[in-house]
Amino acid sequence: MSDHAARPPQAPLEPGADAALAAIRTEGLSKRYGDTVALDSLDLTVRRGEVYGYLGPNGAGKTTTIRLLLGLHRPSAGRGELFGVDSWRDPVAAHRRVAYVPGEPFLWPALTSAETFEFLAHLRAPTLGADGRELPGTDVAYRDTLVERFQLDTRKKIRALSKGNRQKVQLIAALATRAELLLLDEPTAGLDPLMEMAFRDCMQEAKDRGQAVFLSSHILSEVEALCDRVGILKQGRLVDQGTLQELRHLGAQTVEVTFTGATPQLPPLPGVRVESAGPRALRFEVTEGIGQLVDALAEAGGSSIKTLTSREPSLEEIFLHHYDGFDGRVER
Amino acid sequence: MSSVSTASCAPPASGAQVLATLVPARALARRAFRDARVRTVSFAYLFGLYSYIQPVGYRHAYPTVADRAGFSRSFSDNKAIRLFYGLPHDLLTVSGYAAWRVGGTLAIVAAVFGLLAAVRALRTEEDTGRMELVLAGDVGRRTAYLAAMGAIAAGIAILWLAELAGFVAGGLPVGGSAYLALATVSVVPVCVGVGAVASQLAPTRRIALELGGAVVGLMFLLRVIADTVSGVGWLRWATPLGWAEELRPFSDPRPLVLALPIGVSALLLALAARIAATRDVGTGVVPARDTAAPNPRLLSSPTAQALRGERATLIVWLLSIGSFAFILGMISTSISSAGISKSVQEEIAKLGAGSILTPSGYLAFVFVFFILAVSLFVCAQIAGARREEAEERLETLLAQPLSRGGWLAGRLLLAASAAAAISLVAGLLTWAGAATQGLDLSLPRMLEAGANCLPVALLFLGIAALAYALVPRASSGLAYGLVTVAFLWQLVGSLLGVPKWLVELTPFEHVGLVPAEAFKAPAAAVMVGIGLLAALLALGAFRQRDLIGR
Repeated sequence: MSDHAARPPQAPLEPGADAALAAIRTEGLSKRYGDTVALDSLDLTVRRGEVYGYLGPNGAGKTTTIRLLLGLHRPSAGRGELFGVDSWRDPVAAHRRVAYVPGEPFLWPALTSAETFEFLAHLRAPTLGADGRELPGTDVAYRDTLVERFQLDTRKKIRALSKGNRQKVQLIAALATRAELLLLDEPTAGLDPLMEMAFRDCMQEAKDRGQAVFLSSHILSEVEALCDRVGILKQGRLVDQGTLQELRHLGAQTVEVTFTGATPQLPPLPGVRVESAGPRALRFEVTEGIGQLVDALAEAGGSSIKTLTSREPSLEEIFLHHYDGFDGRVER
Repeated sequence: MSSVSTASCAPPASGAQVLATLVPARALARRAFRDARVRTVSFAYLFGLYSYIQPVGYRHAYPTVADRAGFSRSFSDNKAIRLFYGLPHDLLTVSGYAAWRVGGTLAIVAAVFGLLAAVRALRTEEDTGRMELVLAGDVGRRTAYLAAMGAIAAGIAILWLAELAGFVAGGLPVGGSAYLALATVSVVPVCVGVGAVASQLAPTRRIALELGGAVVGLMFLLRVIADTVSGVGWLRWATPLGWAEELRPFSDPRPLVLALPIGVSALLLALAARIAATRDVGTGVVPARDTAAPNPRLLSSPTAQALRGERATLIVWLLSIGSFAFILGMISTSISSAGISKSVQEEIAKLGAGSILTPSGYLAFVFVFFILAVSLFVCAQIAGARREEAEERLETLLAQPLSRGGWLAGRLLLAASAAAAISLVAGLLTWAGAATQGLDLSLPRMLEAGANCLPVALLFLGIAALAYALVPRASSGLAYGLVTVAFLWQLVGSLLGVPKWLVELTPFEHVGLVPAEAFKAPAAAVMVGIGLLAALLALGAFRQRDLIGR
């Protein structure tokens, strides 16, 4: 195909101007299906080379977001851009630097994995990289490595593969493009723990190579391990986003203190909840001002403290925090 | 029938046990019936309308006894006509005519219904993995099988009622009509049996349909040979379509013949049940080939890959249309107008069959059916494109740097080229078949007859594409329905004496009956033009909508 000749002006060849463009940018991106609001005015930026975790339970709008980002569905309002190209207006140009792993591994049942790879590779013409060098549409050597790593029998027809194995086919095809942006919709669903580790290695490699990743998931440990930034989606709205560090501020920090003698009486402190954790131990859930707790402990008898441990909230706690009785945006 | 055999081998069941199977069986049967409702209702409409229109049309076209006598003389011996409608027993009465004209045609439709129903209820359910879910519950294989058959039996009853209602509304006596309708639907259980066995043998839905389709095709071929070649009338006893004829509704009823379809379908259904009880769920007796060395052919573009996927189907179409055309070509040599008066010939023309009294006139009539077949083929191609989207493979494709318009245009081009290939093969093999009998038709003229199928097919391709772009979920049904209605309207519109402009709404009415008549270039140009316009609109509209799954 004449992909090269058709390269539109909004994807400039000079690396300087190009580098300024975000991998993903949306402005007020919204989608309604009939009466249902699937996505409500999403403003999102994913920088180049950034690994972004997109969290939400089933039906929160994760897949809808990706379909809008790819121009497979039409935005009801707002717009989505991939590398500065509006993906609804010019999907072909927008897709050139993107690889996608759909949530459901529907492939052509009569093709073998090897044939599927061959077919999908034919659909991508070589592209120009950020430095102006030509990149192949698919890195065949890397693909072979991935086939090894994921232990896939490529002679088998898709219809004979289990869901997890079909998922591998999609993943390998996408990773082998070495596209600058990977859009992954729950990519590890159906993978066994060993393969999930292989997947994490691949993500690390992608990150090291400077590829951006948009990882939609509800597997929190995966997101916690891989992602630079995290967005939390609830009923079509982005209720929170930031680095894990930033997100942790709103979750409660847990402080556990054991004493040599009896537990002291502390004055009530705003933002601090106390509970007993044994005869000589207290547990504090601190949402703000850990300093006042330290002061109060020192005053009440700092010398009787035997151990003091402090733990940051896990992503799981942050996530549950958003889904546990809260409705809408959380105060910071 | 199967329930009898199961009851005899099952241990005596307590009331509670019976209830335990009955409740899920009823739920399953209801589900299956609901799944099939669109097909059942469409076929029922077809049955009802067709059986209403024929007696009414006959009365209108041949009002007097003299008319009917002339008609009967000319048609009783016309082999060409027998091919489609079967052997006439009595063409002097409205009921005799209806029995011949409706029974013969609808029996073929009934055969297709039976095959589709069985494969849908059995093989498709396994292909999609739903059967596994059902069998994981408190439901045995036998219950699931019986429930599926129960749902199909209800469908058969509806078809029977629809045909009966059509005849009665058309003024035929109730008793005879009930018997005639019974003769028609007697074909269904046999073909359900064929589909059920095919579903056990084949590992996929497509192979099951092709296997069953081959058997149904053979049934038709046997009837064609029995009805047209002299001296082999006994072959009629070898095909369920022949049994339907031998039941001889209205003229000389022989209800004992019913034992044949009942016995054979019971045998086939019991055989299928037996195989179903012993094999692994989700597989067929014929194993699927699950590994293969990579074959890099036809993978270079989405269109090439679509051709790769449709290759087997296309070959089946080419083979069946080709062999049919060959046989028709051979038969065409025996057509002659000797001994038929001019006035009767005019009467025959009223049937919408043109001048079917000469070989070329007959072939022109036959090619109207090829136009129908090619039009249905393009509908199937659009249905294939829709399946690609419904099963979300299109999402994987269009997430690549590929344009939507390019993808759809490729599919349309593929459909048009395949339709052209089928049309030309029909022309070529008709010529070849006639040539074997020493009849020297002009080859270019017969290729022209083949190519003459294309304008109508392209028109329907464009319209089907537009339906796909605008209302994807309903598109297949709309496309098939439109082609069927347009065809039937051409067949019966003139017979009913409705105003000319109303009859002329169907594109089939504007086709030059090549090789008997000249090719109608202006009409063909208009049809192709409308088809193209619709296709262009489709490309634009498809660009503007969401991709929609099931």
